[in-house]
Amino acid sequence: MTDGAHDGIHAVGAYAPRLRVSAEEFADAWGSFEASGIEEKAVPEADEDALTMGWEAARRALEAGDADAADVDWVGFATTTPPMAEEDPTVRLGSFLGVDDDATRQTFTGSTRAGTRALFAALEAETDGLALVVAADCPRGEPSDEREHAAGAGAAAVLVGPDAPAPITDRAEHAEPYPGTRFRRAGSDDVEGIEVTSYDREAFRETLAAAVDAVDAPEDPDAAAVQAPDGGLPYRAAGSMGLDNETIHTCATVQDLGDTAAASVPLSLARALADGHETVLGAGYGSGGGADAFVVEADDDVPAELALDGNTDLSYAEYLRRRGDVTSGEPSGGAAYVSVPTWKRSIPQRHRLVAGRCPECGSLAFPPEGACPDCRELVEFEPVELPSTGEVEAVTAVSRGGEPPEFAVQQQKSGEYGVAIASFTADGESVSMPLQVVGAETSPAVGDAVTTVIRRIYEQEGVIRYGRKARTTE
Amino acid sequence: MRDAYLIGAGQSDYGSFPGESYRSLFATAFENACDSVPDGIETEDVDEAVVGTLGVGGRQLGLSGPAVTEHVGLHGIPVTRVENACAASGYSVRQGVQAIRSGMADVVLASGVEIMTDVSGDAVRYWLGVSGETEWERLSGTTFAGVYAQMASRHMQEYGTTREELSHVAVKNHENGAKNPHAQLGFECSLEDAMDAPTVADPLNLYHCCPTTDGAAAVLLASEDVVENYTDDPIRVAGVGAGSDRVGLFQRDTYTEVPASQYAADRAYEMAGYGPDDLDFAEVHDCFAIAELMAYSDLGLCEPEEAGEFVASGKTKRDGEMPVNTSGGLKSKGHPIGATGAGQVVEAFKQLSGDAGERQLDDPQVGLTHNVGGSGGAAVVHLFEKGLGGDAA
Repeated sequence: MTDGAHDGIHAVGAYAPRLRVSAEEFADAWGSFEASGIEEKAVPEADEDALTMGWEAARRALEAGDADAADVDWVGFATTTPPMAEEDPTVRLGSFLGVDDDATRQTFTGSTRAGTRALFAALEAETDGLALVVAADCPRGEPSDEREHAAGAGAAAVLVGPDAPAPITDRAEHAEPYPGTRFRRAGSDDVEGIEVTSYDREAFRETLAAAVDAVDAPEDPDAAAVQAPDGGLPYRAAGSMGLDNETIHTCATVQDLGDTAAASVPLSLARALADGHETVLGAGYGSGGGADAFVVEADDDVPAELALDGNTDLSYAEYLRRRGDVTSGEPSGGAAYVSVPTWKRSIPQRHRLVAGRCPECGSLAFPPEGACPDCRELVEFEPVELPSTGEVEAVTAVSRGGEPPEFAVQQQKSGEYGVAIASFTADGESVSMPLQVVGAETSPAVGDAVTTVIRRIYEQEGVIRYGRKARTTE
Repeated sequence: MRDAYLIGAGQSDYGSFPGESYRSLFATAFENACDSVPDGIETEDVDEAVVGTLGVGGRQLGLSGPAVTEHVGLHGIPVTRVENACAASGYSVRQGVQAIRSGMADVVLASGVEIMTDVSGDAVRYWLGVSGETEWERLSGTTFAGVYAQMASRHMQEYGTTREELSHVAVKNHENGAKNPHAQLGFECSLEDAMDAPTVADPLNLYHCCPTTDGAAAVLLASEDVVENYTDDPIRVAGVGAGSDRVGLFQRDTYTEVPASQYAADRAYEMAGYGPDDLDFAEVHDCFAIAELMAYSDLGLCEPEEAGEFVASGKTKRDGEMPVNTSGGLKSKGHPIGATGAGQVVEAFKQLSGDAGERQLDDPQVGLTHNVGGSGGAAVVHLFEKGLGGDAA
């Protein structure tokens, strides 16, 4: 099947957590490292998940494409690790980004092929505006299992629409029932397989080859974004797809990030386009024996913003802490409870820093409720979306035992964290708010600039509360 | 308006008392207050009671006022529970003064009680969270230690205040608390101890933070019409001031001052006709070391940039020019939330009565108490002077 040349890629974004654990750390702990071709892998922070990583990639794609969330009228989110087993993650993702309430939202999950499924759906979407494909994943397995050794984390976002610099010129899919190659039982967090090596390899190779065979692929593409459950299997399938190893390796991310599941192909695609490759073959594979293939032929440079570098190496014990394998739960207690309905009322502030401007005196208020902090008039504030960058006015670093109980689990996993009061300025008026600080070895100092990011704040009653935190501006 | 006088004040020991209940602690404080009245007082003389409390072991009681007053035989009289976080019983004293000045009562028991140590440390932090700005400040990951640490970071940045100066607060207050038989942490500490303690919320360490505490305090107030029935050495409530502010620190215009304290102090000084120079001592709210430094400037004892040097120079020691927290303060004496404000008045009563034992100052005439709720959402200041004073003098 061939789409019109007007449906293609406008921009790409990508994100991976800063934390890394090396294959050597696993080898020291287990005596061997079971995931071939992986040197190190990305590890989500205690307050990161597929949704927060997806937001990181999505905002970068929008920024690279000089697009506004209001330009997006179709959002697809792909992951095998949705934060909740049942609850549409695209509602919150759209809210984080500021996508209009009436935009179409679709979730793709249940298979590592979800990322390419979302891309195909975006191409088929009947929309006037842009479609945003977000793929983010952080699989995990049993500690001794090769899939756990491979399991990484990362996210990619692709902005799709007409008149794009990089048209997707062809796409196809193929399915052949191969049960048992990769699956996750209901209620389980861990990916499994029956580990019949020849069967697994055959399923991967044959299914992908059939999908690739069905597209009008360039004979010698510049790069090939191939599904990478580890760092070896894509190369074992290269010949069947008519590719050489270098074509796959040139945009592969698995060796640095690990198995990023549904984000695997989108991440490699983003890297290929960011590096200026003109012809890219995409090949996604997923549980049960399904495969997608597509061809990108870039006429022009594709705007890209990728943040895939790591800067903090973890020991294996620290890695287990981050996963929550060696930590206890939240302490029992009560009081100071913020109900879900109360939280819901503040979502514009939590997700997008919506402050209020006093119509009487022009001052800003955050949160925008109650009397004006300046003129004290009881007014109805005009909503003002604050910039994402602010300046630290006061700061502390909260050590173990100094945290509120809601943050005890995070403290156990990640250790000491910073909390700043930062001021944000809009049209000459400033307003302040307290924000937890992420991603820094030490807390920022008074006067430092910080940028806000979406993270998990805490979880209570099974409901994950997402909101803004701050990261030191680089 | 009629003048109000302190005729008695007493407290329980402060600390951790697994064998005591909130009622038994309250009874001890009440009995000690009654025993301190020079010419004695009968239970039936009390016209009204005010009880400051946040809760009992993390639980809230709907009728915590009557629950403690009936335990000491005061059933029948009007009782009000006052809750303004850590300023609860400072406000109960203020309400007692109001009742007397309005003419609705001649003798009022103003008091406070708290049980904080019969739950886990985690549960205490859950419970104390109710006293802060919960939706934004607490959910940014801070407790009170974190919020005061943010104030400290700003104080250090603006005024060059140092960790060593913060530690001097602990050294001084422990030195005083070691002479207070009711103190929870009645031991002295060295500057090295106070400097090297584990960090709680940078830059605040363990010695920059007060403990959690069980305890009760009770103050007996009488009108000018009846004061002579109880004492020949009355202590006049010369000034009362209270103020409030935005609950969240991030919502205020300053992070190095507590405006609610300034409002309260201004009103108290104005009512008394006194200024900071007229004080012989002060009991200030030192839940964290930075709180005491900010209190110095909020109460007009020094400029904000001088606060660190003010304590490091020894000026606020017992033999200094402006003794502060002769009781040991919240740091050494303890901080039983609802009892703290009334407990400060107990120290003022003892100093002005010449009954402060080893920590007695040399014939003080005027003293101030300063009690803050949360990180400054509420504050109350009282000025006390020996003698009949004012119009009644």
